[in-house]
Amino acid sequence: MSFSITSEVTDGIAKLTLAGSLDSSSASQMQAEIQKVAEQAPTELVLYTKELSFMSSAGLRMLVFAKQKLGTAVQIYIVEPQAQIVDTLQMTGIIHSVHVVDTYPA
Amino acid sequence: MSTETQLFEASVDALEPIRDFVTEKSIAAGADNKKNYMLCLAIDEIATNIMRYGYPRAGISDGVINVSITTGNGSLTVVLEDSAMPFNPLEQSVPTEEDMSKPLEERPIGGLGIMLAKQSVDEYKYEFIGNKNRNIFIINI
Repeated sequence: MSFSITSEVTDGIAKLTLAGSLDSSSASQMQAEIQKVAEQAPTELVLYTKELSFMSSAGLRMLVFAKQKLGTAVQIYIVEPQAQIVDTLQMTGIIHSVHVVDTYPA
Repeated sequence: MSTETQLFEASVDALEPIRDFVTEKSIAAGADNKKNYMLCLAIDEIATNIMRYGYPRAGISDGVINVSITTGNGSLTVVLEDSAMPFNPLEQSVPTEEDMSKPLEERPIGGLGIMLAKQSVDEYKYEFIGNKNRNIFIINI
């Protein structure tokens, strides 16, 4: 499924909604959205991923990029990821650096 | 045993068509969604390396990846074959336990894909035969 992403920043919280497949062909779209929201210096980054069906290491690199771009104090929330995406976060240890949640705000 | 083969351009635009081809065959062969997903992830990581580094470093701009899928005897085997520079992913370093426990912003990002490729299938092998790289992924069904 092709990738789509939308973003908004409200009250200092950047919200990105992702759908489809996040791989090396689509990661640049996510990078562009992260750069866009970074201009507003958000304090939290929330990724809505219920409709995200696939994520390769190109997507993981975007999480690293987000931390570097937005600052290490910015917490990353991943909302409703599919089980296999959680598996990937676990296999790479990245799950310890993000918050996987069912809803945001909790 | 039956084998089906398709040729894809070595461009990241082909990643999704490759996943579609693999998914169609693996689900038909009885793989569940999780097995299929992890197989697609492993293939995606290695195919991306071939597209992004293998062919460009060989100075080849119109490279292709031959994808063949063999099913039977309780397993499914996917072979990616390319004519880029010899590159054995199994000889590349992958993140260590120490790397994995670092804060996200301090983590080395190299090697993550190869680590995922190796961990996501029941068996992963590499061969260089007849001037071609052969990356072989096997899942038990």
